[in-house]
This record gives sequence, structure tokens and C-alpha cells, in this order.
Amino acid sequence: MSQTQPGPIRPILLVEDRAMDVDLTKRAFAKRKLLNPIEVARDGEEALAFFDRWEAGEPLPICILLDLRLPRINGLEVLRRLKNHPKFSTIPVIVLTTSTEDRDIEEAYKLGCNSYIVKPVEFDKFLEVASKIELYWCALNLPSR
Amino acid sequence: MVAKVYKRSAVRIAVLLFAGVLVCILATTATSQDAGAVKKVLVLYWDTKDFSGNISFDQGFQAGLNAEPNSRWELFSEYLDSTRFPGEHQAGLLHDYLREKYSGQKIDVVIATPDPALDFLIRNRKDLFTDCPIVFVAVRRPSIEVLRAGAGLTGIIRANTHRKTIDLALKLHPDTRELFVISGTPELDKRFETLSREELAGYEKRIRITYLTDLPLPELLNRVRQLPQGSLILYVWQRFALKSEKSLQTTQVLEKIRQNTSVPIYGMGSRNIGYGLVGGYVQDSERNGLEAAEIVRKILNGKRAQDIPVDSAASVPMFDWRELKRFGISEASLPSGSVVRFKEFTFWEQYKWRIVGVTTLLLLQTSFIVILLVERRRRRLAKDALDQLNAELETRIEARTAALNAKSRELETFAYSVAHDLKAPLRGIDGYSRLLFDECSGSLDDEGRSFLQTIQASTDEMNQLIDNLLAYSRLERRELKTDRIELTPMVRALVEEKKREGADQEVDFVVDVNGATVVADSSGLAQSLRNYLDNAIKFTRKVSTPRIEVGSKENARSCLLWVRDNGIGFDMKYHDRIFDIFQRLNVAEDYPGTGIGLAIVRKAMERMGGRAWAESEPGQGATFYLEIPK
Repeated sequence: MSQTQPGPIRPILLVEDRAMDVDLTKRAFAKRKLLNPIEVARDGEEALAFFDRWEAGEPLPICILLDLRLPRINGLEVLRRLKNHPKFSTIPVIVLTTSTEDRDIEEAYKLGCNSYIVKPVEFDKFLEVASKIELYWCALNLPSR
Repeated sequence: MVAKVYKRSAVRIAVLLFAGVLVCILATTATSQDAGAVKKVLVLYWDTKDFSGNISFDQGFQAGLNAEPNSRWELFSEYLDSTRFPGEHQAGLLHDYLREKYSGQKIDVVIATPDPALDFLIRNRKDLFTDCPIVFVAVRRPSIEVLRAGAGLTGIIRANTHRKTIDLALKLHPDTRELFVISGTPELDKRFETLSREELAGYEKRIRITYLTDLPLPELLNRVRQLPQGSLILYVWQRFALKSEKSLQTTQVLEKIRQNTSVPIYGMGSRNIGYGLVGGYVQDSERNGLEAAEIVRKILNGKRAQDIPVDSAASVPMFDWRELKRFGISEASLPSGSVVRFKEFTFWEQYKWRIVGVTTLLLLQTSFIVILLVERRRRRLAKDALDQLNAELETRIEARTAALNAKSRELETFAYSVAHDLKAPLRGIDGYSRLLFDECSGSLDDEGRSFLQTIQASTDEMNQLIDNLLAYSRLERRELKTDRIELTPMVRALVEEKKREGADQEVDFVVDVNGATVVADSSGLAQSLRNYLDNAIKFTRKVSTPRIEVGSKENARSCLLWVRDNGIGFDMKYHDRIFDIFQRLNVAEDYPGTGIGLAIVRKAMERMGGRAWAESEPGQGATFYLEIPK
């Protein structure tokens, strides 16, 4: 957590290609009164492009919500590069995907994801997920300022 | 006194009568003894005992006599030997000798061979073997008077075969221009030349004939050495009685001639065959002996010699195989019935049948071997073809399997992708309908809100359906993991899970699983039991006191698990259909469901080698079974 610095509220990076899912996620977090700004990468390449921005001094995200099924570079590849990165490998990654495949779950954990959450269809359950993420990753897991 | 004389006469008569009877009996006995008595046969030969013709004649003669069964005879042989002991004086001595010698013997038949012996006997018949019939083998036929005189005379005439022999020789040597006739006697009497001249009269027109008679041996040999091409020798007879050296037999002379000449020699004496003659029509002495014996047997059996007609002896074309070869004469060109002597059999002729036999065996064996080899080859080819076919089949099966697997994977991926991608818009529908309900319900009337609720219910149903489809599809793709599972805790955990989920529903769960342990795919088994329990809960919903029992039973081969409910049950005619995917027996409004749950059970059980089935009656509840193999 050497990259983590006290200061303004750090963003959450949402890597999601579906605009609808992006919107619903934002709304769900908003409904749960989550204050962290949500930055969005629409595919794997956009997600990797954040590396440069972070290198340039932009604040690191408090966590990354990563979908696995992404155009161009898929989520697992993004995860692999991130976790192999000397500077950014400590950023918590929560895989948020529709896939319930054992294969995907195992592979994601092998590559070093910090949590694997299946996207619920029901909005109510999605709200629960949002609460738990917020509670665990943005509140409890946060180092003292 | 008178009485006494009378008495004496009577005694004399009686004695005489007795003597007469005795004589008669003795005579009868003597006659009957005569019939079985030993017959005495004397053969008078001209030449010596060692003379080959005589030896052959004796063999034939004795064989001929023995041909009569139970014959008893005694043979005497005498030899005139007049070539070595010529002259009247010697003949007289022989006469006296024989007369004395046989004075105590009763000779039954005398045989004379050839002419000189016959002449001797005829000349001396008045006091030598006077009562004895004579059988002869001779060249000259005796006159009728002689034949009828005394105790009888008969025999066989050995016809001269000069002409037949010359005809034969000229046929075999058509280029012949000159013929040399060789004959000679120790008496130098030209007897054989005369005979030959008589026989060959008429041939002078065709060929030149030269008689080499009574020449001294060196001169004779010198002559034959210088014979021109196209010459033939007719060897009749030649002996030398040399004072200075051992006398030469006719065969010895012939051998010398043969050594000194290059022209073919023909002749009429069977005994000369083998000493240089190519061949000729010959009188065979052994055969003559056989024929003479036949006549003798007739006479001994009681026939009179006079009654047996004089017969001619058969002549046989006879050849020396070695000489035929020397002059390149093929056996095929010889007259039929020819006798070829001294044949050196070729390996083929000698072992013909053995060769044929061995060759046949070899051929048979070879054929068998060939057949076996062909058969082996055929089998090998067939096996190769079969192997190839199998290999091709194997390859095709592999290719087909690979294609099927690929297709199957493709379908699974497709099903999986469809299920996942269906979830994304579903999430949108659910999320926005919920947002609509939460944030805009004030501007909606009751009907609008009811519509939104229906949308959410449909979303739930769709979500359930997709989840089940995903489970079904995952089952197919998931690797089978077998573990040792204790049934009791597993069943209890599942029942507790169901109790929690359906807290609002009062179901009486009875678990009676007898602590069995099975080796199975735990995930598949848990999924199956969960689905059975869901099913039971669903169909007991409308029963007043729902009761669900879970039981088990073990045997040697498998473990049986069942979930029994007291729900609505089903008609057994659908017992199998309910395990097919998307098959439902009830309307969705009454018993909501996706029609996939039981299909998942069956598939999961099949994958671990087990079975899933159900028994029921409408209104009587149902029992769903799982059989897990050990």
C-alpha cells in the first residue's frame, strides 16, 4: 500500500463494456451513498491506459471492479498485467462478472484477484453487492488516513 | 498108390495156383509201383559240359521237367565232345563206354542235341539205347524211315535263320555292299560254309558275299581288320583245335574278331550274343531245352514218340544292347518281339518307379508347401487388409469423435454464451424496472405498478430458467470429480438448506439415511438431491401436511437413495418423460418450474454411472430414486 496516500477520496475504477451495466452500477453505488467517484474503462485497452495516467500522478483507485468479458483485451489479461506490475499490483481487484464458471473463478484467483463476485440479475441483490463492496473495500479495507 | 499120386498132383496144382496168384499180385504191385517210379532221362550233348549253349539247354530242360507236378525223374548227361576227340575211333570208344555204363540202367528217354549227337545215336541204335525213344533238337530233319524206326524218334528242328538274320542286318545297315561269312571247324570240312551257301543263295545279286572259311586265326583276324566300309560279318561258327595252344571256343574266336574289326557282326547262335554279335535271329538254347522237356513229359506219360509230330523251334530276334549302341541303332528300329540283352540300364530305366514315386512325393510335398504358403500369404494379406481397415476405421472414428467433440464443445460454448448474454439485458430489465418502481411509482397508477411487478416476476422466471440451463450445460462440461461421501451429513445439510429457504412452508422432513458411504461426484450428487428436494417441496405445497422422507438402502453393487413425498404424484405413464429436459406435467401457474431440474438429475447420475427414476400414483405422492454404483 505504498502507493496509497492520504488525501481526497480516491476513485473506484469500473472496467465494464456495457453502458447499461455501467449506469446500473453507478446508480447502485449512488443509492448506497457511496462517495467515491467512479472512473470507467470500456475495455481492456482503456483499462491498461490508466497505467500511464497513474504513472503521471493521478490518484490510484481504491479498488478496481473488473468484468471478465471485454472487447479486445479480456479481463483476465488485464488482471494478469496488473498483478504483474511492479507498482500497481497491490490495487485490490474485485472481479464482477456474469460468469459462474469454475474455470474463470479459479483462473481469476490464480492471477491474484482479491474477490470474485457474480453479478446478480436482480437489482435488489445488486444493491446488496454494492453495499458490501463499499463496506469492505472502501471503508473497512481503507488504511487510516 | 493111385490115391497117393492123385494127392500129390492136387498139392502141385494148389502150389501152382498159389504161385500164380502170388505172381499176379506181385505183377500188379510192380505195375502200380512203375507208375510212381523214378523216370530216367539221358541227354547226350554234342559239345562239352562247359559249353554255354549246353548250360542254357540244361537249365531250360530241367525247368521244363519240373513243370510237371509230382514228377519223379533222374537226369543223366553225356557229352560227345567230338571237336576235341574227333574221328570214328573216338566215336566207337564212346559207344562202348555208354553201352557198358548204362547196361544196368533202364533209360526211359534219350535226348540228343544237336545234329552230331543225333547222328551218333541213330548210327548206334542197333545196340545202344535200342528200346529207348529219342527226342532230338537238331537242324536237319531225319528221314521218315529213321523217324519211324525202333522205339521212335521225335523232336524239334532248329531252322536255319541265315536269311532272316541277313535280312535284318541289311535293314539295319542299308548301305551294306559286302558280306563276309565266317565259319570253320576243327575238321576243316566246310560243313557250315555249305550250309550258309545254301541259305544265302540269291543274295549275291544284292551284295558281294565272301566266305572266310577255315582260315588260320592270325590270317582271319588280319582279314577282318581290313574290311572296307559298308561291310557286314555273318559269324556262323568257328573253332580252332590248336595243338600248340589251348583250343579256342567259338565265343573266344568271336571276341577276337570283334576286337579286330570295325564292322557290325551278326550271327544265329544265342550263345554268341554278348561276345561281339550285334544280333540276329537266334535259337535260344534254354527255350529249346524247355520245348524238349515238354516232349519228354508226353513220352513219359505214355505217348509214343512216333505219334508226336516233329516241330520247328521258334527263332527270336536277339541283340546285344552294347553293340546296338556302338553302331547307333535305336531299339525302336528293331523288329517287334526283339530281345535286347546286356542292357545297361540308365539311371532312369533302373530307378524309374522309384524316381517317379519320389518325384511324385516331392511334387505333392511341394504342392502342399506351395498351397500352405499361398494360404499363409492369403491370410497375411487378409489380415493386412483387415488391419488396414481397422486402422482406417479407427482413424475415421477418431476423426468423427473429434468432430463430434468439437461440435459438442461448440454447442456447450454456445449454450453457455447464450445463457450469459441473456443475463445482461435481463439485468437491465430488472434494474430499470426496479428503478422505475422506486423512483417514479408516484406518477404511476395501480395498473402501471402491476405491470412493473409482472415484468419483475417474468425477469425472475427468466433468470431461474437461465440459471438452470447454465447448470445443465455446466454439468456436461464439468470434469467428473469422485470423492468418498458420507451420505448422512450431506443429506442433513441439504435438508437444512431447504428448510431455511422455505421457512414459510411447514414441511415435515424425515431423514433416515443409514450412514452409508458412497464414492461419487459430490457436486453432481448434491445437485441431484437438491433438485429432488426442490421437486418434493414444490409438489407438496398444496397438501395440508406436507411430509418428505429421505431414505437409503445398500446392497453389494450399489447404494439406493430416495426422496418420498406425499404430494400430488403423477401418472406412471409419464414416469420417464419427467426426466427429459423441458418436460412438465403441470401448468406453470400451479407449479412454476423450468422443466430442467429432473433432467439435470438424470444427467448427473448417468455421468457417474448411476440411475435416476421415479414411482408414483396420482394423489398418492411420489418416490424419486437415485442409484449410485459402488
